[in-house]
Parts: sequence; structure tokens; C-alpha cells
Amino acid sequence: MSNQRVSRRQFLNYTLTGVGGFMAAGMLMPMVRFAIDPVLKAEAGGDFITTGTAEDEITDVPTRVDFTFEQVDAWYTSEVTQTAWVYKDGSGKIVALSPTCKHLGCTVNWEGNPDEPEHFFCPCHNGLYEKSGKNVPGTPPTAPLDMFEARVSDDGILQLGPVVPNTIVK
Amino acid sequence: MLWNAQEIDLFLKEKAYIDTVVIPLLPVSISDGTRQEAEQAEFISLLTAMLERQFKGRMLLIPAFTYMTSRDHRAKIEELKSWCDELSAQGFAHTVCITSDTSWKGHEEELDANIIWMPSIPLHHMDDKYKRKIVDDQVNQLIKIIVQKWQSA
Repeated sequence: MSNQRVSRRQFLNYTLTGVGGFMAAGMLMPMVRFAIDPVLKAEAGGDFITTGTAEDEITDVPTRVDFTFEQVDAWYTSEVTQTAWVYKDGSGKIVALSPTCKHLGCTVNWEGNPDEPEHFFCPCHNGLYEKSGKNVPGTPPTAPLDMFEARVSDDGILQLGPVVPNTIVK
Repeated sequence: MLWNAQEIDLFLKEKAYIDTVVIPLLPVSISDGTRQEAEQAEFISLLTAMLERQFKGRMLLIPAFTYMTSRDHRAKIEELKSWCDELSAQGFAHTVCITSDTSWKGHEEELDANIIWMPSIPLHHMDDKYKRKIVDDQVNQLIKIIVQKWQSA
């Protein structure tokens, strides 16, 4: 042991390599992190927002589902709550309709008018839509209700995405 | 419709369908009541914004009618009356004023408008979920009142 003494030169070499190594790592780490950041981000689920509704709560009757997300509008960040009418169609596929009337943008309600069962009703100008979102001719709306892209997360929670034109109405 | 450039364009185009105007009535003072008035302003603004979202296609939400609390009561009523007269002359069939200020109670007949008084709820202590539920309930009541007015007209 005693004849394997560390010389002054060796000691300085070790310590300087060690300290230099830490400094180099400190500089490189953030750079590497920045470089691979896009790869990590892509897994974060895109634009889908998780709602508070589980898949097995959804029946074939349209139910109101509220969901909240943060919206940045220029310098102003606000929490926005949106609503969807969600049900399962005949084949068990989830349909999430936007409640925004295609006439002038009021909020429509499922069976909002007791005289029109099984229809979405717009209280502003008596617009009517069928369950699929198809507008009833003779009422003010000129197009079917839009829909949200919908999917179910791995743990069985409903997730809603961007608004798209209605795809189930032919 | 909201009072902003984009929606006003749509409003001007579709004026025939929009027959209802909503005016929030908000008192302002720097006194013992300031806190309450701020609370009222917050609550009423939130409420009217939610109401507008429900009935976007049939109502126009205009900037609030604000007044100093110390202002003479008669002058206040005259001023609001001139707003309402002007608006109905512009073709709005329904003018709905929404407020938490009790001083408007009992003056509905003098104005060509509906004054709806809502009790202000201190929202800032509540957590989000509860807050949303309370405001939703209040909005639903307002919706009922307004649909009734539409149907009876």
C-alpha cells in the first residue's frame, strides 16, 4: 500500500478530469434534452382532452359531458368549458356531437322541447336535429351538428379531440 | 352575440333573428360596499357570459350599464330608460337587465325592460367544480325566465 502513493501529478489529473467531466456534462445535458424534446412531446397525446366520464357510463341516450381546458388567446389565458352530447350508436361506437347550433351558434339540448322527443332542440329559433345530428328540413339550421373526435383512453376514460364536420350523416 | 368585432359582423348580417338584448347593471363606488360591488360585477359578468353562450343566436350582450352608487336614483333610472328606449327603437323586442343591485327592485314598470335580480354569490372562496355547478344552476333559472318571456311574447 505505502509504495503505491498517489503523486501530486496524478492527484491533479484525477481531480481535474473529474471536475471537467462534471462541467462538460452540465453543458451537454440541456443541449441533449432540447435536441430530443420533440420526440418526448409527441407521446403526450396530441389535442385530446380527458373528460370526467368513463366509457361504461355512456349509453345510447345522448348525455351531456362537460370538459375543461386552457385556452390561450393572445396574452390572455382562460379556462374554457365545452360541452358535448355523447352516446353510443347501434354498433357501440361513441358519438360526441357539438352542442353548437349550425344556425347562429346557440346551445342545443337533447329533448329540449317536450313536444319533440328524440331530437336535439335549439331554443332560439326552434331548430331541430335528429339524434345523428342531421338537421330537420323546414327548421332554420342548414347543416348537421358538428362532432368531436372521440376515443377511449387506456384506463377507460372518454377523451375528446378537435371539432370535425359530421361524418355519420349521409 | 358578444360585443366584439367578429361577432358584431355576424350580428349585423343576421339582425332579423336577434331580438333580445342583455344589459348587465353594475354599481361602482369606493366605500364600504366596494368589495360587494366587485363581487357582484364578477358574478353578473360570469352569469351573462354563460347566458350568452346558451342563446348566442338570439341575444346580444352589450357592455354593462355602470353607475356610481352615490348617483341620484331618479337620474339613474332616467339614464337606463333612455338606453332601453333607444334599444327598442332599434328593433329589439326584448330588453333584459340583469343585476345584483337591490336598488333596482320595484322599478321595473317605469322601464320598458325586464329587470332580473339575481342574488350575488361570493364565488372566490369556492373550488372550481362547486363554483361551476352553482353558476350552472343560476344560468338554468335565467334560461327558464327568458324562454318564458319569448314564448309569452
